Amino acid sequence: MAPTAIDRKRKSVQAEESDVESEAEFGDGLLEGILSQSESEDSDEESNAEEDSDEEELEVDALEALDSDEIPSEDGGSETEDPIGSLVKSNGTKTSVVALREKPLPAEDEDKPNYTITTDANGGERYVYEEIDPVYDSDDSDAPITTNTIGDIPLSFYDSYPHIGYDINGKKIMRPAKGEALDALLDSIDIPKGWTGLTDPATGKPLNLSQDELEILRRIQTNEMPEEGYDPYPATVEYFTGIEELMPLSAAPEPKRRFLPSKHEAKRVMKIVRAIREGRIMPYQPPEERQEEEEETHYDIWQDEVPRPDHIMNIPAPKIAPPGYDLSYNPPPEYLPTKAEKQAWETADPEDREKEYLPTSYGSLRKVPGYEKFINERFQRSLDLYLAPRVRKNRLNIDPASLLPKLPRPEELKPFPTVCSTLFRGHEGRVRSLAIDPSGIWLASGGDDGTVRVWELLTGRQIWSAKIGDDEGVNVVRWRPGRDAVILSAAAGEDVYLLVPPIVDPETDAASRELLDKGFGHATNATQALTANGARKEPVAKWTRPGSRLEDEGVLIKITLRTTVKVISWHRRGDFFSTVSPTAQKSAVAIHTLSKHLTQIPFRRLPGIAQTVQFHPSRPLFFVATQRTIRSYDLQKQELVKIIQPGARWISSFDIHPGGDNLIVGSYDRRLLWHDLDLSTRPYKTMRFHQKAIRAVKYHKGGFPLFADASDDGSLQIFHGKVVSDMMENAQIVPVKVLKGHKVKSNLGVLDIDWHPREPWCIILDHLIAVGRVSEDAPLTIAPFASNNSYLHSEASYPIKVDGCWNVSDLTFNASKPMGDAAFSG
Amino acid sequence: MGRIKKKGTAGQAKNFITRTQAVRKLQISLPDFRKLCIWKGIYPREPRSKKKASKSSSASTTFYYTKDIQYLLHEPLLQKFREQKALEKKISKALGRGDAHDASRLERNASRPEKTGRTKYTLDHVIRERYPTFIDALRDLDDCLSMLFLFANLPSTDTVPAKMIARCERLCLEFEHYLIVSNSLRKSFLSIKGIYYQATIQGQDILWLVPYRFNQRVTGDVDFRIMGTFVEFYQTLLGFVNFRLYTSVGLVYPPKFDKNRDDQGAELGAFSLEGNGVGAIEQPKQITNGQNSKPDPKLQAEIDKLMSQLNQPEKETEQEPQTSQTLAEGDDEEQPTDTIDKFEPAAPGGDILLQPSYSATDPSTLFSNFTFFLSRETPRQPLEFILKAFGCKRIGWDAVLGDGAYTHNELDPSITHQVVDRPPIQVDSEAAEQIEDNQTAQKLIPGSRVPGRIYIQPQWIWDSVNDEELKRPDLYGPGAQLPPHLSPFVKKVRGQYDPSAPLNEQEREDEELEADSDMEEDIPGEDDMAVQQPKLLTAIEVDATAEGMDIAGSEDDESEDADVVDNEDDDFGGFSDAEDEDEDDTADSALQRQRELEAELTGVALEEKVANPKADAKKKAAKRAKEEDEELERAKMMMSRKKRKILEKMVYSNKKKDGEAETLRAKRRKIEKSGKGAPRA
Repeated sequence: MAPTAIDRKRKSVQAEESDVESEAEFGDGLLEGILSQSESEDSDEESNAEEDSDEEELEVDALEALDSDEIPSEDGGSETEDPIGSLVKSNGTKTSVVALREKPLPAEDEDKPNYTITTDANGGERYVYEEIDPVYDSDDSDAPITTNTIGDIPLSFYDSYPHIGYDINGKKIMRPAKGEALDALLDSIDIPKGWTGLTDPATGKPLNLSQDELEILRRIQTNEMPEEGYDPYPATVEYFTGIEELMPLSAAPEPKRRFLPSKHEAKRVMKIVRAIREGRIMPYQPPEERQEEEEETHYDIWQDEVPRPDHIMNIPAPKIAPPGYDLSYNPPPEYLPTKAEKQAWETADPEDREKEYLPTSYGSLRKVPGYEKFINERFQRSLDLYLAPRVRKNRLNIDPASLLPKLPRPEELKPFPTVCSTLFRGHEGRVRSLAIDPSGIWLASGGDDGTVRVWELLTGRQIWSAKIGDDEGVNVVRWRPGRDAVILSAAAGEDVYLLVPPIVDPETDAASRELLDKGFGHATNATQALTANGARKEPVAKWTRPGSRLEDEGVLIKITLRTTVKVISWHRRGDFFSTVSPTAQKSAVAIHTLSKHLTQIPFRRLPGIAQTVQFHPSRPLFFVATQRTIRSYDLQKQELVKIIQPGARWISSFDIHPGGDNLIVGSYDRRLLWHDLDLSTRPYKTMRFHQKAIRAVKYHKGGFPLFADASDDGSLQIFHGKVVSDMMENAQIVPVKVLKGHKVKSNLGVLDIDWHPREPWCIILDHLIAVGRVSEDAPLTIAPFASNNSYLHSEASYPIKVDGCWNVSDLTFNASKPMGDAAFSG
Repeated sequence: MGRIKKKGTAGQAKNFITRTQAVRKLQISLPDFRKLCIWKGIYPREPRSKKKASKSSSASTTFYYTKDIQYLLHEPLLQKFREQKALEKKISKALGRGDAHDASRLERNASRPEKTGRTKYTLDHVIRERYPTFIDALRDLDDCLSMLFLFANLPSTDTVPAKMIARCERLCLEFEHYLIVSNSLRKSFLSIKGIYYQATIQGQDILWLVPYRFNQRVTGDVDFRIMGTFVEFYQTLLGFVNFRLYTSVGLVYPPKFDKNRDDQGAELGAFSLEGNGVGAIEQPKQITNGQNSKPDPKLQAEIDKLMSQLNQPEKETEQEPQTSQTLAEGDDEEQPTDTIDKFEPAAPGGDILLQPSYSATDPSTLFSNFTFFLSRETPRQPLEFILKAFGCKRIGWDAVLGDGAYTHNELDPSITHQVVDRPPIQVDSEAAEQIEDNQTAQKLIPGSRVPGRIYIQPQWIWDSVNDEELKRPDLYGPGAQLPPHLSPFVKKVRGQYDPSAPLNEQEREDEELEADSDMEEDIPGEDDMAVQQPKLLTAIEVDATAEGMDIAGSEDDESEDADVVDNEDDDFGGFSDAEDEDEDDTADSALQRQRELEAELTGVALEEKVANPKADAKKKAAKRAKEEDEELERAKMMMSRKKRKILEKMVYSNKKKDGEAETLRAKRRKIEKSGKGAPRA
């Protein structure tokens, strides 16, 4: 604005060169005039005037900013919208140039005094000096520039004047035009630029801010420097480095290497160059692009597939079973659970459930809900896949029937006993032992009541009875083999009795008596063995007459041993018999000679308790069973031949096959063992079909390939055991029948068993005595019997009475103590 | 004598290694070991003797083969795991130092599959090792597909990243596309768990399960890290399998995937298959129906006329692959306009459907002549897939079911079948009239039907597919009680219950009689051993009429000692089991014989004695059972204990199975008698 102000002065001083322009600029000129009108006369000195106007400028600006310059952009606005205005301005500058050209003119005349003479108020001369231009080195440069010279007094003192003070020249500073009312009106019409709505507390007027002020505020708010273009960190001007040292600090000459290119660096650069060329170093790429790039690549992984057999130990995971009918969303109605099944499923623990789902019928597809356990099941499957140990299990997918051994039909193996045909009643208390006589007509039995009874086998009629044991029961009865005489042996307590029951024809009876009495002479003649000290040795057994009462009944000889006799076993010729009394230590086994009334103790010592003995059916061998083993001795050579080890814990009984090469053993630990003596000392077959101990085993001696065992569980098993003469072939053993239903009293079931010497009948010792007989009552089973002539023949020779069972008396059982006590307690 | 061997240096002790030992040997963490095991297919074994296998005194639970673990030692993945572990350590160290920049730089190298859905390593070599041939891979695809289809339907969580789900979905859809193109889907089954599908690819049967589209219930005991490990492997596997399958049918893999269409729910339709030009069979693409631009109706009519003439021969040879050009033209042809109505037959499928003797051995032709429309209540995705897999090329559905349909217009006259799954609503006559008026309207009044098309429930499609023939649609009408939906995967075993066969074909003889005589039908009294056991004793049917009985069995003739007889019976009841009945039989037959003889003498015809068949049957069965039992026991005696145990186990399981079958038969008999069973197809 300063140059324009000067322009005005120039214009006024000089004759108006261009009036058109001055016209246009009049508005401005008018404003300027307020300040400059008084000094228009002394504005000839240019530099002074310039400085003056500059100083005034500051004030004017401040004032304008306060009140008069409400629309500061108006000037600029008029400029922009009106190109002529700008032209006017350029004209203005032209004029100033012209004025500057004229400037040297007054300076040219040097002699001209630096004052002008004017007339003062009194009409006298007044020297008016030019204003001193305070150049840089003028001494009043530090003086404060004050425009208003009134001093520090309140402005209110001038309220009543048109001026507000005086300037340094003593001229009045006129009050600037205010026009408050007009401004207020304008304000009410439109909101001016920079209007803030605030009131300035210093002036009490509305506070308006200009664009620059707003900009400053913004910068302050945003923590920027308030002034634009201010550089808080200017580049440091180096002081020392800027000065070049004239003298070197070190006198050492520059090394050569400073002038040569570095080989090492060249090497490293070349390395990088090579890497780039070879593509080892890729130009940098932002990571995002890299991720985009790494899309999966697809190729045929099985392009050159080579089948490789699975590793032998590899077990592929089993596939999930395909769904069955009951998994359907609409299953057949029979698959739906009943109410009870449903409830059972719901109450069961989830682990115990057979299926993890409940078959449900939804009717239509839209009603099917999501399956709750889907994820769980899949998760379980994944666990199974990697966590479950795999085992290869061979599942037999065969018919179970094919596992069963092919046994011959029982019909083909007939005859064997199947039906109970006769019961023998009459004993009081437990019956201990039974035997069928060699002719097969009579049955002898002995029991706890101390009697020995002889029955007719077919009818069950009691023929004869003798009470031999007064206070002890009869433990064992055995017939002497051979049909020339009928002799029955029975043991009660320590005594062994030899009886001749009066049931046969007189000749045989006489022969029998003679056989028994024959030995008395021998016994008296025999020399008694002496002990070491010369005393007569106590005989092992005493052979005596039992007394007249018993003699009348048929009991002829009484042999008294030291301990209770449990077993009697006859030699096939009928001259020897052996007894076993397990409780005796040394004399457990005794061999008696009937013809000499002689008793011998063959074994000084036995390993274990003797259980039972048997003579070999054809050879001079003697078998002794102890608890664990069976030993066979040669009687002629008097030596041990063989030790048979059945492997049973406690042998109860054994029997030798009539052929002599096979042996069956029954044991208290429920085993039935078949030994082939030629084969091995170990059993050929072990059968464990009984629930309880086996008491007795017996072969059929009359030609039928049968054997049977009797057990404490009340059952009896009949086997077909065929021994083949061929050495290469094993014996064929087939179970044919189980006879059940015998009563078990005080843990004792079937105690003894015997076979008929010719017929396929067995006699079973229960509490009563029963005869097991061939089933289907002979005429019904024609086919098996047709092949068996001997049976038909014998059938004819023994007419059978139809009325079957005949009983002697009503039964009264004594709850007798079990016989096996001794055996069990050892 | 050689040197005494040290314990634990040979045999089982050396062949097996416990899990702890294995982890220690590999020097990795347990989760890493788990991952390796899953990917490499290494699983624990059950040693014959745990005691011998374990070197410690405490009972170890898991044993691996030492050879397996040694094989893992050379696994390149192991090195990757270690590197990853080191990197994680570096990152945590940097974070601990507060060096965020360093950490983020390192983080870029770290594998973050939960964010990127992709790991730093690939499992390609593992797949190659585990499946040396393609067939091997196909054989193991069951679990892979089931798992990926499940994950494709899961919501994304922080353990299951969205990218993984998207990738699963893509792979599954690609696989479905292959099945559609190659027509290798064979069977499908709607179960309560989900939908089972079976496809046969290169002779391998692949069975997988797809859940219904519901939000899956996730319980806390499911570890998604384990499942994620499986999914990672399966994704790689299915990617390669898909590539191979696509290449084998002459298609480019991966198919082009249109993101926009996928966003609009056009699942299968978002992919566009293209041939790779190497012996390529141009596979028929699905026909879609663009409705956005409506051409000039007159011009359209002209074109339609021409096209319908052209199309006649083409329709007959529809089985042959169409070229893409004809497809494009076909698109135009299918534009539903008003003028097209008179040219199109009203119900093109009508006469075709009337031939019930449709025998399709080729699954690609089962639905090829039909146009299906799926109502909005039907599950679109499985229906679309199964229909397309069985040759259907034009499937329309309601617009709410998503994009990619042949038509969204329910009234499109080319539709031959409409799949509905809503109960029928009775429509009153006014509404019906209104329908007549609104023939051209886009929306139908609920409950009304468009004439000339067949309405069926979804099960019709599944049953038709499984039986490879079109079932009678009247059984599957809207609101009808559907025939039972049977699993096509059950192999018919003789002796097992088969719900599709009539009851009397599979019953044992006399079973019904027994069931009748049994008052409580629920528990069948007869055990089935009788059927199972070998009939050794059948020859026992001896002539019981022979006379001349003696001794045993005639005790009851003696009246005098009846009490004694009773006594005897008590004592010896078990001596012979069949005795009493024998007596009865013999007595009966003897009587009969006597009567016959008398009749012969007198010359009078003897009227047939009306025997009670039920009682007879029962008695006979009991007798036979008894005999067979005895026989069985005899045979068992001669078996070794081991064999006997096996036999008993087998008999037990057989008995159980037979018991189940019998229960089912009894239930069915009851239902059939009450007459409220659903019709059987």
